[in-house]
Amino acid sequence: MRIRTLIMAIALLSASALHAEPLAIVVHPSNMAELSGDDLSRLYLGRSRTFPNGDSAIPINLAEGMPARERFDERALSRSSAQLKAYWSKLVFTGKGTPPQEAESHEEVLKLVATNPSIIGYLPASQADDRVRVVMQLD
Amino acid sequence: MKKSLLVTASGLLLMQPLAHANVDISGYASVIGGRVLSGSGVEAFDLPPTFLANYPLVGVYEKEWTFKPDTRFGLQFRANLMDGLSATAQVVARGADDFDARFEWAYLSYDLNDHWTLQAGKKRLPLYYYSDFFDVGYAYLWIRPPADNYTWQIFNYTGVNAMFNYFVGDWDISGNIYTGREDDKENKLLSQFFGSVPVREIWKDIVGGVVNLNRDWLDIRLTYMTYINERYRTIDGIEERVTWGDSLTRRGKFAGISVNMDFGDWLLLSELNRLDLDGSKFDTYMVSAGYRINQFTPYISFADFDSENEKHNTTSLGLRWDFHSNAAFKFQYDDVNDKGVPGWEVAGDSKSVSFGIDLVF
Repeated sequence: MRIRTLIMAIALLSASALHAEPLAIVVHPSNMAELSGDDLSRLYLGRSRTFPNGDSAIPINLAEGMPARERFDERALSRSSAQLKAYWSKLVFTGKGTPPQEAESHEEVLKLVATNPSIIGYLPASQADDRVRVVMQLD
Repeated sequence: MKKSLLVTASGLLLMQPLAHANVDISGYASVIGGRVLSGSGVEAFDLPPTFLANYPLVGVYEKEWTFKPDTRFGLQFRANLMDGLSATAQVVARGADDFDARFEWAYLSYDLNDHWTLQAGKKRLPLYYYSDFFDVGYAYLWIRPPADNYTWQIFNYTGVNAMFNYFVGDWDISGNIYTGREDDKENKLLSQFFGSVPVREIWKDIVGGVVNLNRDWLDIRLTYMTYINERYRTIDGIEERVTWGDSLTRRGKFAGISVNMDFGDWLLLSELNRLDLDGSKFDTYMVSAGYRINQFTPYISFADFDSENEKHNTTSLGLRWDFHSNAAFKFQYDDVNDKGVPGWEVAGDSKSVSFGIDLVF
């Protein structure tokens, strides 16, 4: 019983530690784009289709419910998941935009970004590797 | 709404994730019930206590509970073809129309470049702020956009639309320019509520534009539209043209501004609009405030319609509860005050309650 409690405590602690971890915004290593926070939110709110240098950009989200997604919604877009869903339903059903496509795992984000210079994604900073370039970090 | 990457299906697609045609299906639904608690009705029209919650669709609550006036289902199909081309169709079934499902949107969309998109087909007329997503209850605060503002009998058009998206400094500037026409063979509002014979309502030579200015928590929208109105009435099987004085047509000019603020936990929404119909002025405005407390957003709202003869307003109190990641529960109380000059009342005074669920998928 004691051991189980301890394991649960550790699991909870590490889960909250992961939750607080910074997010890395990642692009293809050949993509030399510089991004501001506003540029990032424009891309993820469907208000811009290009990087600041004019190259086309394809934002990739993590799936709804993943901790890094919630964190990204709050930190990068300053909105709750419910507010974002309301925002996108307005655009989707009036033909003004479609939300970013979603990846189911951090590894999928890495793979997608590593294979297409237009794709931009995000994941917990510790998971970014040399297949991608970190263009920005969100604490 | 939920989209998953097609690319997961095949590693080959990883190189060009958006280059394959696929069909997205998304949708929305609102199931709303309500009733009038008390009301004056309009004796001169033999109208019992009535709350006209939706003018164009004649969504009417009376003293018995009903789920028909505001309940609706929408299903959207979007075929994403290559290189910025897509085709979208939306089928809507409404309780107010006995759930008779109809294609209300059907259009092609083509991204000309990174800033401009061209669309052609059948779309919603984007007059007021909430006009083009009126059906998507999940996307706004109340049970329905204030009925006193959204009174016009025509809400679709067929034509072309050019949309744009730019940013200047900290401001996002987006909008659209559109032109087209609508020929409604038997207009519901004019035929069934404001009259008793079939009325064919035509809005032609429609030309309009919308500009949205966004910055952080501030959202400003300007709208303008002009059209020519032509109308026919069928009496004893014979269609006759309606005239206004010596004139066979009327010109309408619609202009409006909307200012919305989403600041911290506060939400302030406003709209001010005027329709000038051959010199007659029809003025509408709305102000709403909401305050977010976690998943709960209580709100108040006041909406007003003013013209020479028709005058009414509605005070509303309500609560939105985002109880699920795809759905919201809403409860609303509406107090309508009809001050129309005798003969020009709409539905009299009324106090009503309605509640229900909005969802998107």
